[in-house]
Amino acid sequence: MYLNPIVKKDVKVQSRSMKICWGVFAYELILALVFFLAMTVIQGNSRYSTGNIYSAMVWLYPILAVTQLVILGILVPIRTASSISGEKERQTFDIMMTTSMSPFSVIMGKVMTAVVQSMFYVVASMPIMALPFIIGGMSWAYLFLFLGIALLVAFFSASIGILCSSLCKKSVGAVNMSYVFYLIFFLGTVIPPVVYSVIHDNMRYNLGYVPQVYETFGPNVYLSLLLNPAVYLIEYFTGIMAGESLIKNGFYDINAISTKGPIKLAASGNWWMILSTVLFIGVSLLFLWIASRRIDPIKGRRKKR
Amino acid sequence: MLQIDHLYKSYGKFQAVSNLTLHIPQGDLFGFVGPNGAGKTTTIRMVCGLLLPDRGNIAINGMDALTQRKEIKKQIGYVPDFFGVYDNLKVREYMDFYGSMYRMGSREIERVSDDLLELVNLSDKKEAYVDTLSRGMKQRLCVARALIHNPALLVLDEPNSGLDPRARVEMKELLQNLRSMGKTIVISSHILSELSEMCNSIGIMNHGNLVAAGRIEDVMEGVFGNNQLIVTLEEGRETAMRVVNEHAGIKVDSVGEHELRLSHNMTKQEIAKLIGTMIAEGVVVTGFHKQEGDLETLFMRVTAG
Repeated sequence: MYLNPIVKKDVKVQSRSMKICWGVFAYELILALVFFLAMTVIQGNSRYSTGNIYSAMVWLYPILAVTQLVILGILVPIRTASSISGEKERQTFDIMMTTSMSPFSVIMGKVMTAVVQSMFYVVASMPIMALPFIIGGMSWAYLFLFLGIALLVAFFSASIGILCSSLCKKSVGAVNMSYVFYLIFFLGTVIPPVVYSVIHDNMRYNLGYVPQVYETFGPNVYLSLLLNPAVYLIEYFTGIMAGESLIKNGFYDINAISTKGPIKLAASGNWWMILSTVLFIGVSLLFLWIASRRIDPIKGRRKKR
Repeated sequence: MLQIDHLYKSYGKFQAVSNLTLHIPQGDLFGFVGPNGAGKTTTIRMVCGLLLPDRGNIAINGMDALTQRKEIKKQIGYVPDFFGVYDNLKVREYMDFYGSMYRMGSREIERVSDDLLELVNLSDKKEAYVDTLSRGMKQRLCVARALIHNPALLVLDEPNSGLDPRARVEMKELLQNLRSMGKTIVISSHILSELSEMCNSIGIMNHGNLVAAGRIEDVMEGVFGNNQLIVTLEEGRETAMRVVNEHAGIKVDSVGEHELRLSHNMTKQEIAKLIGTMIAEGVVVTGFHKQEGDLETLFMRVTAG
């Protein structure tokens, strides 16, 4: 089986370093602290409720899962943002570009290394993560779903990091730019619905009515939230823990009878999660493609005579 | 082997390479010479596919370097001027990494690596970490790495910079060895004496232009001419001057206490006759020889102004 040489080399080189040991230790330590904090809260609440403490253990699942996803979201761009710029700083990048590997393979190698390393951490956390399944009685399928979401988060964060690494010459600049991208996804995607709501309310109070077209098709701006990682995770965890949907229950405009357009489909059944997942994968692949174009030394057209 | 036609490259308003046309036959050890900023590295980077030319064509073994990049990458081995290393990677693993980048099988890599490490005299360092090697060893390893896929053309950019005298001699021997194996080698260097010892052809660049190129002896003859005679004498300078002035087609370039420098268009027999006449007239001739140019003088002359 052909394994990307960059993954093979990077994983080997990094696993020899003490950094990985300290990394796993710190990761487990943070999870343990969150676990004990959550247990303290669960125990405190159980004194005032009729339910038993064991059924309350299921709440460890979203708490630990979100903690891990946040750590991955922070760490993975740091790893990948320095990968291409690091090769350039080490002056090994040119040699790499003269080999038979295509720029896209190089980019994929770097991304897969970051994903594999993320999975080291996630797999190492499995004993702690298994508690809500063993004691709280949750379905094991959710554990695999979590692994899938962790993979997606790692892949998405890595693609942002690698794009920034290809855009910036210095690793520090690339890391900073990655977090600006995060801001765009977390806050930028919220802007269209907010603007829509403000205009909607202004029209209602100032004009006394809202034009029919605006009322009918306007809620489609909520589709921007398909690319909001926070909405994605809230939708996933509210679905599992409370059997509810943020999209279906949280936004009146989307579910109004008069609303028409693709938002209606996106908000029905499990389509929001499916579409959102596909979009995140699509955007990640787009970032990887752009990054591979950026690092390709012989890209673009030649100047005319 | 390597055919460059009307190559141009500029960085903004700075013309780095201008109308470069060059042919390097199979099996040549070609030395690229020129002052800093002459365009050597730019040319090398274009040949290796690390830089896009503005105009012109590069062909290796008849294949276009810009349109047949996959095939071209298999034909070139590139050794940059700076040797970047990966921490925690052993010599054997380093070779394995680059071998797998050319999609070679692990057995093939092992076999070829063993041969190459023996060729560069690093067989006993197979299990050593790359970053523990001396600079000379690293540079030899870099040459071995560049040969892992058996390229037809080896391109070295300033391979001797920063090497101690012993390492330079070892590198020179290695390159001569490779040439005897039929490899075509292009090497850029500032150390002219070394280039003149190991290269059979040269190209001199200045301000982005190729000012002289070809077999070393042809270039020398073209620049210095083949018609300067130096006569050294112990006694009879005035008589020697008289004999010279009696011969048509001889011009005295300079007169020293014990030396005459003459420009002439005589045959070997006529030279012998002239020297014979001098001796018969009582001049004590201690020697005579043709003016031999060296690469440094040649370089200074063609890059002057």
